[in-house]
Amino acid sequence: MAEALFQISEPGASRVKHACRTRAVGIDLGTTNSLVAIVDGGRPICLTDDRDHVLVPSVVHYAADGTVVVGAEARALASRFPRDTIASVKRFMGRGPGDAEATRRLTPYLFAPSGPNANEAVVRFSVTGGTRAVTPLEVSAEILKALRARAEAALGGPLAGAVITVPAYFDDGQRQATRDAGRLAGIEVLRLLNEPTAAALAYGLDKQAEGTFAVFDLGGGTFDVSILKLQEGVFEVKSTGGDSALGGDDFDRAIAHAIIGRLGLGGEIDPGTIRRVLDAARVLKEKLTTESEAAIEIALPDGDRTATMRLHRAEMDALVAPVLARCGPAVRRALKDAGVDASALSGVILVGGATRMPLVRQFVEKLFGQPPLADIDPDQVVALGAAVQADILAGGAVQGDLLLLDVVPLSLGLETMGGVVEKIIHRNTTVPCGATQTFTTYADKQTGFELKVLQGERELVADCRPLAEFSLKGIPPMPAGMARLEVTFTVDADGILRVKAREEITGQEATIDVKPSYGLTDDEVERMLLDSFAHAEEDVKARLLAEQRVEAQGITSAARLAMADAPELLTDADRVAIEAALVALARAEVGNDHQAIRAAVEEVDHASKEFAGRRMNRAIGSGLRGKDVAAVEAKADETASKRDLATRAGSHAGHSH
Amino acid sequence: MICWSCEREGGGGPFCGACKALLPPDDAADHFAVLGLPRGYALDFPAAEVAYQKLSRQLHPDRFATADPRARRASLGHTVQLNEAWRTLKDPVRRAEYLLELAGVDVASDDQKTGPGVDRGTRRLAAPPAFLLDILEVHDDLGNAQRAGDAVKVAFLTEEMRGRAGEAMKIIATALDTGSTQAPDQGRLDEAARALIALRYYRRFLDEADAYEERGADRSGGG
Repeated sequence: MAEALFQISEPGASRVKHACRTRAVGIDLGTTNSLVAIVDGGRPICLTDDRDHVLVPSVVHYAADGTVVVGAEARALASRFPRDTIASVKRFMGRGPGDAEATRRLTPYLFAPSGPNANEAVVRFSVTGGTRAVTPLEVSAEILKALRARAEAALGGPLAGAVITVPAYFDDGQRQATRDAGRLAGIEVLRLLNEPTAAALAYGLDKQAEGTFAVFDLGGGTFDVSILKLQEGVFEVKSTGGDSALGGDDFDRAIAHAIIGRLGLGGEIDPGTIRRVLDAARVLKEKLTTESEAAIEIALPDGDRTATMRLHRAEMDALVAPVLARCGPAVRRALKDAGVDASALSGVILVGGATRMPLVRQFVEKLFGQPPLADIDPDQVVALGAAVQADILAGGAVQGDLLLLDVVPLSLGLETMGGVVEKIIHRNTTVPCGATQTFTTYADKQTGFELKVLQGERELVADCRPLAEFSLKGIPPMPAGMARLEVTFTVDADGILRVKAREEITGQEATIDVKPSYGLTDDEVERMLLDSFAHAEEDVKARLLAEQRVEAQGITSAARLAMADAPELLTDADRVAIEAALVALARAEVGNDHQAIRAAVEEVDHASKEFAGRRMNRAIGSGLRGKDVAAVEAKADETASKRDLATRAGSHAGHSH
Repeated sequence: MICWSCEREGGGGPFCGACKALLPPDDAADHFAVLGLPRGYALDFPAAEVAYQKLSRQLHPDRFATADPRARRASLGHTVQLNEAWRTLKDPVRRAEYLLELAGVDVASDDQKTGPGVDRGTRRLAAPPAFLLDILEVHDDLGNAQRAGDAVKVAFLTEEMRGRAGEAMKIIATALDTGSTQAPDQGRLDEAARALIALRYYRRFLDEADAYEERGADRSGGG
């Protein structure tokens, strides 16, 4: 009957559904902040929340009641719930608990003990008082979900997919973890794009520049440097280098250590204090970007007293300079690998919030012998570039001929006798790429090969990162050196490795897509997806609720319009019944029970049934008057559909009573 | 090649002559053929780079992100082949090594893979013992100077080695560049091969010196 009311009061004006625009977005999943951008009208823009904020702090809070809070709200909860609020999770992506670089740092987190699975080698944060253990991948997925929601709200429909950026120096495990996090967040990951490359893409597009550029990207947790050549619409990465465990967070830590020393906070420090001191360090650092002196109040562990920490910029510079100096070797190596002299560069592009610091700018200028460019907001430039690449991959690009040629960041190889690494693909080789190398047996009657795939620049297996192990069996016994094992490495455009091994004499073959041993297996991702279905039930409820609210608002306004339009057809009994039903509906609407709203909607439907029927009759009757028979017959066909609706609504109402 | 898409004869190019579908790459094509360059040591670098970029634009997987899986596979194959060809030819040393391989002279270093069109291991050349003794001696000198912190001596040895490497490059270029598309004769090939083998030792020396210099730069404050 609700339909009938609509049909009569607003003929022709059916509810317009938003045209479903499916679009691909660029996501910068940062250590400190994350952003999402789209290309709109040929230009990339960052999407904002309803308060015009572009940045989503990469902070996730797990509340005791099971709810998950992401962003600024979560960051505000960090010092009160230091262990349940995970910040800078990107540092832990793809890391095992044995990774000193991941766990030995000053962090307030509690790490969950490894599970029963002996091979399980994933860091887990113990949250909500130890009742829940979450992996970095799951934490990242929560951030991605928030970004996805922002994008879908802006686009008014589901995402077609996303390009997610990663530091160029991320190894295979960290890349896989990022890709899986996207999957867990329900995002189709079109491509993982190296952050410096994304930045150059944003600059190249903006400036229509040609030449060789360096991108100096110092983010919250990672440092990347890339040398790129932009020529005739082709962005060719010449070399890339960096440190996946060096960033602005380390500046904060250096400052925090000084604060702890000065305030005399020796011994075991509680996690809340660590969080507060780290926050204070960050605030001081940000203030000292524009001022030469800053001060901050810090609550002391006893809870009542506070202390003032005062810092000069020169003092801070002295604290962070040793950390910053670690960027030097990577820059020199990248220049050397690219075969480019610093003086031949057309420009140096700055990326990442930490590059706002005057000390960093001076350092860059000294290192490259020229002042850096910073025209595009260093916080946004990566997301903007990712949006450009997403647009290219989704086929909507107006840039036409634009093409990105990226490289393998770290050499890939196989373990050979004596624990030595044989490199098969060298770092800074343009992707996609492939190489084949032949190996043989070292023992007589050897019937199988154990292949260990490694990543890194060092010569010894122990110094490289193991990516995967697999074996090839079923080789007939032969004297040592007779078997010929052909191993082919292929790296696709995402930088993901596939290894194929084939024994030439027997034709025995084995292939693996490299899934790092400390990443997640497909089963684990599957389980997490199933877990998320449990949450999906909540999501479904939320959607039903939203739908029922829309329905309620629709029928309320339709009923009011109809009553105002034809008061003469309304009996007093009708009026009282409809008004009562509308009041009940308004009450149900503010609640969270979608079924209650639905029942109230049906009640309004039922109460207005007689009135709607009278209006329907009058509408048809007025249509008949003064028309000839042929016209009436033609009209009858047209109104058939309306009658059908009226009948359906009527019988529906009948059923519910 | 019969086109997978229209099932007609597609011709010799990367794209089917009849329906423009991307055909799989010819695995036997040598690096020069892949880039459409004349076989020889002399290389017009800017023109070759433009050729590489143009082919990349046509063949790269990003161009086929939403295409038929067979076209995507062909695109990956072409691009892998193209990238390997350009990686080999753009670098003068790798280019020289590849030319020697094509001519049947084996100078393959540890990190080198057998390229397409190469019949491997026909003639293997090794460094003469006297040369190896000489190199060992210079290496020892470098090690001693580094341990003693004698920066002047390290710089002197490095500079001398840079000179030797430059000389070797010149010998290679002169021997291999015949000034036409004609292949170099056996004498020239052997000369180039000996210089290449020597160059490999010089480069290893220079890498070590660079690594030392880098560590030194970091000790002195990183800027």
